[in-house]
Amino acid sequence: MKKERAITRRDFLRGTAGVLAGVALGHGCTLEASAEQRPKVILVRHPDAVAPDGSFNGDIIQSILDDAVKILLGENEPMSAWQKLFKKSDVVGIKSNSWNRLPTPKEVENAIHRRLKDAGIPEEKIAIDDRGVLSNPIFLNSTALVNARPVRTHHWSGVGTCLKNYIQFVPEPSAYHPEACSDLGKIWTLPVVKGKTRLNVLCALTPQFYGRGASFFDRRYVWPYKGLLVGTDPVAVDALGAELLKRKRIAFFGEDKTLDVPPIHITVADKKYHLGVSNLSRIELVKVGWQEDALL
Amino acid sequence: MTYRLGKSFYVALLAAAVVLVAFTALCIESSQAAGTMKEETSMDTKLNLPAEVDGWKWDGKEERYDSKTIFKYIDGAGEVYLAYGFKGLVTRRFEKPGKPLLTADVYEMGSSADAYGVFSFERQDEEAGIGQGSEFGGGLLRFWKGDYFVSINAEGEGEDVDKAILGLGRAIAESITKTGSRPELISYLPGKNFNLVEKNVYFFRSHVLLNQRFFVAHQNILQLGPDVEAVLAEYGVGQEKVHLVLIRYPSEKRALDGMASFKKAYLPEARTKDIVRTEDGKWAGAEHYKWFVTLVFGAATEADAERLLQVTEINMKGKIQ
Repeated sequence: MKKERAITRRDFLRGTAGVLAGVALGHGCTLEASAEQRPKVILVRHPDAVAPDGSFNGDIIQSILDDAVKILLGENEPMSAWQKLFKKSDVVGIKSNSWNRLPTPKEVENAIHRRLKDAGIPEEKIAIDDRGVLSNPIFLNSTALVNARPVRTHHWSGVGTCLKNYIQFVPEPSAYHPEACSDLGKIWTLPVVKGKTRLNVLCALTPQFYGRGASFFDRRYVWPYKGLLVGTDPVAVDALGAELLKRKRIAFFGEDKTLDVPPIHITVADKKYHLGVSNLSRIELVKVGWQEDALL
Repeated sequence: MTYRLGKSFYVALLAAAVVLVAFTALCIESSQAAGTMKEETSMDTKLNLPAEVDGWKWDGKEERYDSKTIFKYIDGAGEVYLAYGFKGLVTRRFEKPGKPLLTADVYEMGSSADAYGVFSFERQDEEAGIGQGSEFGGGLLRFWKGDYFVSINAEGEGEDVDKAILGLGRAIAESITKTGSRPELISYLPGKNFNLVEKNVYFFRSHVLLNQRFFVAHQNILQLGPDVEAVLAEYGVGQEKVHLVLIRYPSEKRALDGMASFKKAYLPEARTKDIVRTEDGKWAGAEHYKWFVTLVFGAATEADAERLLQVTEINMKGKIQ
């Protein structure tokens, strides 16, 4: 059998590693072989979404989420947008994130939950869960999912974003850790979630932009960005979330300080699993509201 | 508004993928290490961990993990610890009414070199004067002493919380009575005369961990493994950085094999001298001495690369018979 040539630092120095990387990942993608669609992602921010003491303003979060969904769906009124996403007959799971240091804010969960009820979905057909999704009857019988979690750096996947948030839908999450969780996109092809996600809400209210190590949380690297990234394409939302953290690292450190691993799973979700668009030049970013130090 | 960027982000992501292809290897290496490791849960007899510090009281519960169960505690992140000969972990939590919870994690590693290694791998903050090497920043204290690596953090902040974290750290360090040595390889490194950045000296045994701090090759071209010791050192000021990797193999034959493998993959054009000019205009070189291999990356001139290699060898010759 022909032995694979080692890819070294010198390949990067001579600029040939991009091609080799595609081969190494087992798919011969090129830099321009992206999806044809041009997904829309809404960045919405408000200066009072997070108070100086770190608490979240539920009313403002409800309002900016409504704005984002309205613009995303091209509607004039928020409720008509929500009703475009969900039917009264839907059974909806709100996939949250319960990591104790930086969980999905209750205010975000409540804002989504409220609008699902406003859209006519009965209370008993809605559930919010994270680590219990595989034993939660609403999630197991769901017809629709809302994916809501904070954006932060992550030891195993580079960044913890919407794609990563579905790792609790497999019985052995650690099986997805190899190669920087590059195969997270595969989870989105499993019957329990496939085709169900109607909305991705990446909470950039207090993102964590840097970290080292397995259980890393460092308050120095969390900042009140006071925003949400909202879209129907999880790959596009995540690509922008990763870029936001990268730009914050550059602003903070003066360079893009290396993470434990780079967030390659976002590109793989695009190229291998065709879940969306990771190429930033092919994403339509719509910025709404407060724009000070927006970075994107 | 339409968002447009150049290709740089995309190229960076794809290029970075190469580093990650090797990541599976760490899992394999780690699981192999775990499989051959003798399970020890004898921390009770070795350590007398504190029950109270500054009014924070131990809740009386203790969680214990070994090389098979560590994944349950740190969400699958045990591979890093297993790559440093992880033996066991004891976790205690400390409570004080109206104050944030403190968590102390005490890891027993394969050797003092390994305890230093896991500490050095994630080090980024200033020395806190606890144990044999420590750092404290952002409410997280990390230190090593003897065969132990210890991590203490709080679920909130405050001056009294920081004081309690440091106090708990000192108490745990005192309970570890046996000290250990840093990896001997560090003593062979060219020092401050060459602008060694001491905070950026890393000890490791796995090529995957080397690549996380300084990417050399996605394959294990240096033939590293659990029975090999290596240090990565950074030299320089500002943006001009030179990296040196010093490796000790278990035998001269293994060192020669590692050197040959590296030269074939990284310095294929090298002839009489094992120093070449790389594509960035800088110089990379390699040197073999007994069961050691030294590598230099990013030197400004050929003479600079040669000098670092020579000084490392002189340092070794002065200490190795």
